[in-house]
Amino acid sequence: MSEKRKYKKRYCKYCEAKVDFMDYKEVASLRFSLSERYKIMPRRLTGNCKRHQDMITVVIKRARAAALVPYTVTRKQVVTAPFENLR
Amino acid sequence: MRHYENLVIVKPTFTAEEIQASIKAVEEIITSNGGEIAATNAMGMRKLAYPINKNERGYYHVIYYSVAPAAIVEIERRFRINEDLLRFVTIKYDTNREIKAWNTFVEKANKAVEVPKAEAPVTEEAPVTEEAPKTEEAVAE
Repeated sequence: MSEKRKYKKRYCKYCEAKVDFMDYKEVASLRFSLSERYKIMPRRLTGNCKRHQDMITVVIKRARAAALVPYTVTRKQVVTAPFENLR
Repeated sequence: MRHYENLVIVKPTFTAEEIQASIKAVEEIITSNGGEIAATNAMGMRKLAYPINKNERGYYHVIYYSVAPAAIVEIERRFRINEDLLRFVTIKYDTNREIKAWNTFVEKANKAVEVPKAEAPVTEEAPVTEEAPKTEEAVAE
């Protein structure tokens, strides 16, 4: 790589914390990989590694099925934003 | 025998006794199919992230157990018939890493039951969440 990096090098936060298993019931820990509208953040923005991204997608989808995390947040729902569950 | 976890959401319109009764019925479904319950964890009344059958809240209860894999189909069929449940989520703990996590969950849940005094904030939070729906029911009635 002769070209210089123009941005900060990204690293996987889960690798750094040595996360082996994620629990879908701990909603606060899923916040990092969710966008404001509760979409799953892409790997290119969060810097997660492939292994941990695969883990978090499964866990988030489980949490959605259990009604711990919303599937979608529309304009109408934003008023009753379900943030109180997370903090 | 394989390790499983079931999260069950009970209807919020029930009284505390009715909720306990329906949870007992759920546990009976598991034990009658040859399951051994290792631990239970009552997460209590929570706000749902999205309404299910026009319900805004639900009583969360988590059961850790181990059964033969063939029995899961029957257990889930019985859950689907049960009208007290808004939702259930079954999770399989298969690989070594997952089994390790399952064991820690069971230990944690059992400790929380044995020593409720040590975790003062948890016990303080519990009655608050239970009282909130009661007042709402009173208004509704």
